[in-house]
Amino acid sequence: MAGSNHVKWLAALDIDEDPITACRLMNIFRRKGMRIITLALAARPRGYSLIVLLDTPENQVEHLFNFLRRTEGVEHVTCYRHEPNQHASWVFIDAESPSVARFLDAFPGSRLVFAGEGKCLLEVPAPGDLGGVKSGFDHLEFMPLACVKTTRAPSDEGVGA
Amino acid sequence: MRTPVTGSEILLESLHRQGVDVVFGLPGGAVLPLYDALYSHGIRHLLVRHEQAAAFAADGYARATGRPGVCLVTSGPGATNLLTGLTSALMDSIPVVALTGQVPAGLIGKDAFQEADTIGITLPATKQSFLAKSAAEIPDVIERAFRTAVSGRPGPVLVDLPKSVLMEKAAPPEYSSRRNGGGAARRREWRAEDVERAAEMMAASRQAVLYVGGGAITANAAQEVRELAELTRIPVTTTLMGLGAFPSAHPLSLGMLGMHGSYATNTAICECDLLVAIGARFDDRVTGRLADFATKARKIQIDVDPSEINKNVRVDLALVGDARETLRALIEALERRLPGPAHDGRSRWLERIESWRNQHPLAYDQYSSSLKPQYVIETLSRYADEDAIVAVDVGQHQMWAAQFWEFYQPRTWLSSSGLGAMGYGFPAAMGAQLAFPDRQVIAIVGDGGFQMTLNDLATVAQYHVPVKIAILNNRALGMVRQWQEIFFEKRYCDIDLSFAPDFAKLAESYGIRGARVEHRADVAGAVREFLSDREPRLIDFWVDPAENVYPIVPPGASLAEMVVEPPRALVEEEEVLDDLWAV
Repeated sequence: MAGSNHVKWLAALDIDEDPITACRLMNIFRRKGMRIITLALAARPRGYSLIVLLDTPENQVEHLFNFLRRTEGVEHVTCYRHEPNQHASWVFIDAESPSVARFLDAFPGSRLVFAGEGKCLLEVPAPGDLGGVKSGFDHLEFMPLACVKTTRAPSDEGVGA
Repeated sequence: MRTPVTGSEILLESLHRQGVDVVFGLPGGAVLPLYDALYSHGIRHLLVRHEQAAAFAADGYARATGRPGVCLVTSGPGATNLLTGLTSALMDSIPVVALTGQVPAGLIGKDAFQEADTIGITLPATKQSFLAKSAAEIPDVIERAFRTAVSGRPGPVLVDLPKSVLMEKAAPPEYSSRRNGGGAARRREWRAEDVERAAEMMAASRQAVLYVGGGAITANAAQEVRELAELTRIPVTTTLMGLGAFPSAHPLSLGMLGMHGSYATNTAICECDLLVAIGARFDDRVTGRLADFATKARKIQIDVDPSEINKNVRVDLALVGDARETLRALIEALERRLPGPAHDGRSRWLERIESWRNQHPLAYDQYSSSLKPQYVIETLSRYADEDAIVAVDVGQHQMWAAQFWEFYQPRTWLSSSGLGAMGYGFPAAMGAQLAFPDRQVIAIVGDGGFQMTLNDLATVAQYHVPVKIAILNNRALGMVRQWQEIFFEKRYCDIDLSFAPDFAKLAESYGIRGARVEHRADVAGAVREFLSDREPRLIDFWVDPAENVYPIVPPGASLAEMVVEPPRALVEEEEVLDDLWAV
C-alpha cells in the first residue's frame, strides 16, 4: 500500500446538529493525515453541511470514505473524484455568487448542490463537457469532479444553501 | 397529576430498563444527587478506588458478557481518569457506557471547580458522546447511548450529566421500550453473488487459513467459525483479540499468529494460498512488514466495519456485514460445493503445518532450576475450569498466557490488546466476576501492571469478589527489558521493579489470602489450593527474570523473519542476568 499516488477528492457530508460531530470530523481529518485544500461548513435547518476538498494517497480514498460514513453523527457522505481529463458532472467553484449565476446560465440544466462560505458545488447535466467552460470564467478556479460514491439513495435531493 | 421525579431518578430507571445490573463507580460532588438516588435504587454499585479501575471493570464486564459495561464517575478529574479505559475500549471495540458528572449547566465553560471539558477531552477516545441538557431528555439520551455502544462496530460512549440536570425535576417520562443489551442488528452490505464468489475461492484453495479476530467473538460467531473450519478442513489462527473463538485443542487450531505467534502459524500464513479474515483488522502486530505479508495468498475479508476493508492490506474480496450472518451464508454456499477438487489436497497442507509444529513447537526449558512463567501458565490452565475467565495485564505474561493457556470457548479471554494498557488485568477480572459470580475468574498479571491498579484489592475485599490473582513476578518491566536486551544491545534503562511490596503480605493486609511461590515443585499444589474455593486469593509467583517471549518477529521484519529461540550467546549469559536481579 506504500508509495501511492496522491489524488484530490471532495467529500460532501451532512452531519447532525450536535457540534461535537463537526469537532470529531476535524479531528479525524487531522489524525488521518488528510491534507485539507479547502473546507466549507454551513448550517442547515437541522445539522450542518461540510464540504472538504482533500489531497490524500489514492489508496486511502476508499478507507477514508468508509471511515467518514460510519462515523457517528454523519448522516450522508458523497465522494467526488477530481477527473481533469474526462467528462465530469460536478464542478466545484471557489467563487462569488455572480460568477455562479453566469455559470448556471452557460450550462442550462445545471443546479446548485451546495453553497456556503464562498464555495459552490454545481451539478452539470451529464455528459458534462467542460471543454469550453473556462471561456468567460478565466478568473475562476474550477475543479471538475465525478461522483464516485454516495450514501444517499438516488431519489435524495441535493442540499442547497 | 403524577409526582415529578428528578433527573437522577430518571437516569437510574433508564439504566434499569437497559438491563444494567451493576455499575462501577466512584462518587464526587457533581454526582452526589445521583448517588442519593442510588441509595434507594436496586442497581448494584461497586465502589472502586480509582476511576481507571471503573473503566477497566466495565470493559471486563462487557467482554465477558457481550453487554455494555457501565461506569459512573464525577466531573473533572473523575472523568479524565477514565481516558485510558475508554481509549482501550475503543481500540478493541468494546461496548462501554461511561456516565460522567459535570458541573451545573450554568457554570459550564466558566472554569468552575472540578470542571473539565470532558466531551472535548474524550472526543478521540469514544465512539460517540452526549451531553444531557434536561432531565426530560435523559431517557432518549440513555437509549441512544446504549444503542450506539452496541450497534455496528461496538465501542465506548460517554454521557455527560450536569449536576443541575441530575437535580432537575420533571414529569415522569415515557421510557423507550427498546433495550439495547447486545447483538444489535448490523447492516449487511454484501450481495449473494459475493458470498458465492467467496465460496468458490475457498472451495478451490488448497492451502487456506482462517484468520479470526475479535470481531468473530463480538458477533457471537464462534459456532459458525467452527462449522466453517470443519466443513472445509481449513485450519484456524486467531489474533490476540480472537483467542477463545476457536478451541485450542481442536485439531484445526493453529493458535495465535503475529509478533509472538508460533512458528507453524506464521509459516502457514507465509505459505497459504488463501487467507480468510473474519472480524480481524490486519493489525501491525499480526502482519509484520506489510509488503511481505501473506504474499502467496488471495484474501477475503469479512468485517462489519467497512472502513477496515483495504485499510492496511488490499484484499481480493470484501464481505461487509455481521460475521455470524455472513459465515452462515458462506457455509450454506460451501455445502453446495464441497467436497471440491482441492479438498484432498488439504490433508497435505495440514501435514505440512504439523511438520512445522514439530520443527519448532512453542516450548521452554522444562529442566531449568528457575521457575518458568510458561509452566505457571500451563499449570493454572490445567487446573482451571473449562469456562474459567482469564484476564491478563500487558507484557510478557500476556504473551505467555496467549501461547500456553488452553481456550475452550469465547468470552473467556480479557486483554487490553490494541492499546496495551498496563493495569487492565486485575480490574477487568473484577468486572467479569461481577458478571459471573459463580464462575472462576483468574487475573494473570505482571508485577508492573499489577502495581498500577492494586489499590482495588480493597474493592475485592469489601465486596468479597472471589477473583484469583496470579502475579508472574519477574521484578521488572519484562517486555521492555526484553526489547532492551534484543534491540538495544542490553542497555537496560529504568526497568528494575525490585523495589516493590511483598504482594502476598499486601494482600493479607487487605484481608485477602496471599501466598508466594518460588519453586517449580510448589506450583501445582499452590494452584490447586488457589483455585479450590470461592474466596479472593493472590499468589505471587517469582519467575525467571531472564525469560523472554519467543518466537518474536522483530519490528519492521516480516513473519518469515521471526526469531524462534534465543541465540546461543544469550542463553549462556543467563547467569549474568540472574545476578543483575539477585535480591
